[in-house]
Amino acid sequence: MLTCDTYHMPTTLRDALELWSEAPEGSRLVSGATDILPWAREGRAGDVHIPSLIDVTRVAEFKGYSVANGRVRLGANTVYQDFLTDGVLRRTLPCMPFCAIWFADDQIREQATLAGNLANASPVADGTPAVAALNGTVELARLEDSEIKTRQFVVSDFILGPGRTVLQPGEIITSVSLDSAAGYGGSFQKVGQRRSLVISVACCAALVRADNTGCSFDDLRLALGGVGPRPMRLNAVESRLRGERISRRTIYAAAQLAADEVASRSRQEYRRSVVIGFVKAGIEEALENQSDVDVKFEETEHA
Amino acid sequence: MERKLRGRGMAASWYGIARTATIDRAGAWAELDDGGTAKIVTGVTEIGEGILTLLAQVAADELGIKPSEVTIGDNDTARSPEAAHAGATRQTYMIGNSVHLAAREAKKHLFEQLAEHWGVEIETLQSFDGEVWANDTNLRITMEEAVAICKGRGVVPVGSASFTAHGTGLDPVDGSGSPWQTYVFGTQVAEVEVDTYTGEVQVLGIWAVHDVGRAINPRGVEGQIEGGVVQGLGQALMEDYETVNGHTTTHGFAKYILPTSLDIPQINCTLVEDHDPLSPLGAKGIGEPALVPTAPAIMNAIYDAIGVRMKSLPATPEKILQALKSKTPGREQYVQEARAQRAQSHRG
Amino acid sequence: MPKLKIDLEVNNRKMSKETDAHKRLLDFLRDDLNLTGTKEGCGAGECGTCSVFVDGKLVKSCLMPVAKASGSKIQTIEGLSDPGTLTPMQRAFHKTGASQCGYCIPGMVMAATSALRENPKADIEEIKERLGGNICRCTGYTKIFEAVELAKAVIAGDMPEEALNEDDVGDSYIGHNVRRLDAPSKVSGRLRYAADMKMHDMLQMQVLRSPHPHAKIISIDTSEAEAMDGVVCVITSNDVPEQTDGFGVFVHDQPIMARGKVRHVGEAVAAVAAEDLVTARKALAKIRVVYEELPGVYDPEEAMKKGAAVVHDYAPDNIVKHIPVRKGDVNAGFANADLILEDDFSTQQVEHAYLEPEAGIAYVDADDVVVVISPSQNITHHRHMLSHILGLPINKVRFIMSPVGGGFGGKEDMIYQGMLAVVAMKTHRPVQLNFTREESIIASAKRHPSRVHYKMGLKWNGEITAIQFGMISDGGAYGMSSEGVMRKAAILSCGPYEVHNLSVDTTAVYTNNTPSGAFRTFGGMQAQFATESMMDMAAEALEMDPFEIRRINMMKIGSRTHTQHKLTAASLDRCLDAAEKESRWENGPPNVRGSKRSDLGGDDTRAPCTLGARFKNGKSTDKERVA
Repeated sequence: MLTCDTYHMPTTLRDALELWSEAPEGSRLVSGATDILPWAREGRAGDVHIPSLIDVTRVAEFKGYSVANGRVRLGANTVYQDFLTDGVLRRTLPCMPFCAIWFADDQIREQATLAGNLANASPVADGTPAVAALNGTVELARLEDSEIKTRQFVVSDFILGPGRTVLQPGEIITSVSLDSAAGYGGSFQKVGQRRSLVISVACCAALVRADNTGCSFDDLRLALGGVGPRPMRLNAVESRLRGERISRRTIYAAAQLAADEVASRSRQEYRRSVVIGFVKAGIEEALENQSDVDVKFEETEHA
Repeated sequence: MERKLRGRGMAASWYGIARTATIDRAGAWAELDDGGTAKIVTGVTEIGEGILTLLAQVAADELGIKPSEVTIGDNDTARSPEAAHAGATRQTYMIGNSVHLAAREAKKHLFEQLAEHWGVEIETLQSFDGEVWANDTNLRITMEEAVAICKGRGVVPVGSASFTAHGTGLDPVDGSGSPWQTYVFGTQVAEVEVDTYTGEVQVLGIWAVHDVGRAINPRGVEGQIEGGVVQGLGQALMEDYETVNGHTTTHGFAKYILPTSLDIPQINCTLVEDHDPLSPLGAKGIGEPALVPTAPAIMNAIYDAIGVRMKSLPATPEKILQALKSKTPGREQYVQEARAQRAQSHRG
Repeated sequence: MPKLKIDLEVNNRKMSKETDAHKRLLDFLRDDLNLTGTKEGCGAGECGTCSVFVDGKLVKSCLMPVAKASGSKIQTIEGLSDPGTLTPMQRAFHKTGASQCGYCIPGMVMAATSALRENPKADIEEIKERLGGNICRCTGYTKIFEAVELAKAVIAGDMPEEALNEDDVGDSYIGHNVRRLDAPSKVSGRLRYAADMKMHDMLQMQVLRSPHPHAKIISIDTSEAEAMDGVVCVITSNDVPEQTDGFGVFVHDQPIMARGKVRHVGEAVAAVAAEDLVTARKALAKIRVVYEELPGVYDPEEAMKKGAAVVHDYAPDNIVKHIPVRKGDVNAGFANADLILEDDFSTQQVEHAYLEPEAGIAYVDADDVVVVISPSQNITHHRHMLSHILGLPINKVRFIMSPVGGGFGGKEDMIYQGMLAVVAMKTHRPVQLNFTREESIIASAKRHPSRVHYKMGLKWNGEITAIQFGMISDGGAYGMSSEGVMRKAAILSCGPYEVHNLSVDTTAVYTNNTPSGAFRTFGGMQAQFATESMMDMAAEALEMDPFEIRRINMMKIGSRTHTQHKLTAASLDRCLDAAEKESRWENGPPNVRGSKRSDLGGDDTRAPCTLGARFKNGKSTDKERVA
């Protein structure tokens, strides 16, 4: 059970920052509340008393999103459901709908924010690899001598370890910015056809763009989650495939390279076949989902 | 190996109806009431299986009124006769029959009065769906009128009954005995798809055939089968209450995984009706039998798909991947041994 | 307690209320507004029984601090339709038989309603996705899907409204699909389960549970808790007569509250009754229990060994029950066999997971009758035991069964009603206890896990000549239904086959794990899982179709069962025939034929699930909310 002394709902960033910097020890920021309420229960944290809960979901500056200069800036109150229902977000962030549909269920998606999910820094969070594949950055605001100051972090630098981020006392996430990847095909692979995970094995976010002949990789981005405390961009695989002829053989070889990278970096045993399978399926499905290009695999040409 | 492989398996099953290795009993009261309605009071324990509706149907059928006209009293030790508990797939059998007999007695009192009032033989009287009539005459009234006549003559049409199922105890040494007077049988077939990358199993179809004796409410029986199959599927593939030195690691539903909408096979039910000769209704039961063959049918289907025998439940994706990895190429060892033995015995 | 003020609209009613700052929207609706159709099935956002509309979006109200709802328009299950009416969706649930115990149903109706509001043309894959956040334990979801599709058709005008009416009866109500009598009360959220009931002057009870699996209780100091403002009483086993304390389905080995020692994590040690829930919980933390931990046993085979820790003094070998069944001569049977298979099988402990966590109310009426209202599966037996324990005449104890939100055997054990009765007798006030989901999971019994060692002998023609079956089950800390489960497992063990020589032993063992008890099939599925696996293994070895080997061995009229009961009726032949036919089964031995079969992928199967139906079809609602 969660109990508190006060529950604040500031409506401006300044109010939120002031409340947060003045809040008594043990106080918490609340976004969607979809993590904190299940946490304050028997078997996990048990009964928890928090002096001050500061709910940031009414802060005007955190609402909505904007698209400019090839980037999509998502206000901190963007919820996961938005990636499914908003046409602009679906178009500019092609791997996010596939990531979102795996995230919990419709009800929770209406409540859970991307920013809150990142702040939680769970190693098995699905949002993080998708954000990493989109070169995501997180903006943090703080009060310094009554002035609002901000700083930015690439998502893999924002997360320090399981449950730990660079957030300092008094800091609040204001937005998450991502590449606008309109024209790319996106995909997301995850173990568990059920809503909840049985085993926390890798998930894989993929974005690809074939050139306008459909024959070679113009660009691709791959990120794995669940293989370590931070999302893993598969830079070696990406460079290997950029500019290459699209073929199932090279995709499979790249997938094996990914599995090697995972095996060398993480101490836990992730079955090679899962990662190989995910990366392979991830790239192939993303190619399929690129709507305006007819992709031509090398193998089918020779058939 | 292809990523997704399909297979099929089947399993047969049997079960006993009502309390095990003992005498079971259930009592009920029935009253034909004003308006041609009825009151039924019995220790019925509705836990979602649909017994309340079934009893209303049984009473309605016997009395000759509509199920919506039957009111079933609350289960209360101070207000209802003992019909004992919800379990052992016993309520349709024990309480259904008890209500049937109690209703029969109430109707008998009504018909006795009506027969005298009309001057006909009691055997000529019939009732259905709220009407009462005497065969081969044009005497026909509503049940409401019939009850009024009966009560006007000073008789309240009430009935009561106790139904008994005779099970015997088991011998302490060799277990011999007749634990139930009625058995049911069943068979299920499962069709699965196994994802060899992740070890996940999706059950795409279940065909469930169960002998229910007599289906009082076929849709209700199907509902029980569907619910049982999904519980069986849950145990087969995903549910696992785990403890380590007595402390659980599965505190809530985030860790204890239950089947959701996305996991449900198409469930095709077929009801076999092998009437029970030892009870007036002929019905048996379905609640527990529905769950028995599901897990082995699914495991047998997994074997058909990928050639690994899952002998430990639940067959989680992790366990399946592990089994796929460690499987020796070729068939299970006893198949080879059996072939060798058979060849030898033919030679010998 | 800290308060906050909230202005909102609920079911078209504008209101301004003061409530506790810590409450969730769920608590506000249920406690402050008496709208109990919205349920707390788990409190952690997993089960969906708490689903409500907030400003048109379906959310889980157990995850919403009440302050978030200020300024919002809330619609609960009670607000879907006017009094006395049901929406087409609710009527569809009624028509198809989609509600069983009913506890998940208000949330499920809300999710279904939301699905069609978001996309009136949603196909079955999208419907399933949109219901993916709601768990049902009773129905297997099938008739729920049917209801949503029926509602969709009626709302779209593709089917007439009459399709929602009851079917006309033929010439008998037996065999007719009469709609469930209790469905309207369930689809509308109006049926009150024990946790929804409120009585004037009612206390809230909370239970202190053991953190240790096996420990002596050295002392319990309740003084600080009792002195707290708002606490009315604290009870322990001292409040229960020692001589008669003890309940259980077969053996009365379980005290109302732990006496002398605790035997499993989660066992009740003490209970607090207070004016409100938060005070009761805070008081629990003030009860000081001094334990002396004891070595425990956590594995049934270890528990049976000499020198193992003893869980109950009356059972020094830790055996709860052993059931033997013997028929014929197994040694001769094996000697006579052409083929012998031997293998091991195991199944896990399984949680009932009924959507309604345990709950109950007790009070003493004006005639000094102790009344307990709870979703008990066996009020007859509970009344018997409680009157004996409390030393009351049996007609001075009254058990009323409240609507049960799922049982499956898990609500057969009297694990909390005794505490409620004791508090009611001590205070002469009504008292309520609502379990949390986590409490329900650790305190209530599970399906027995099993380890089976199986040996089967067969002839080349497929006839079974002998079976040796040994099953060991972890019975956990208390007897519960272990005896009955072992007995049933033994009787059913070797399956629906006539086996002339068999030796069956089933054994339940005490350990310090969560107790195992009654759960749908009572040992029948664990035993037959092993048997049906062996039968397929035998079929493969003998290169026979799996139906064929069952037919060769099946019980018939005149067969003797494993307990030597002569059958006067048997229908396995009909079941096998129907299953083979209905499934279009392709004949052949079970030798990994999957990739070669031709009977796969029929219209009577579903497509594999891949998430994303709503946008893969290219049609879904498009909203743009650029800042």
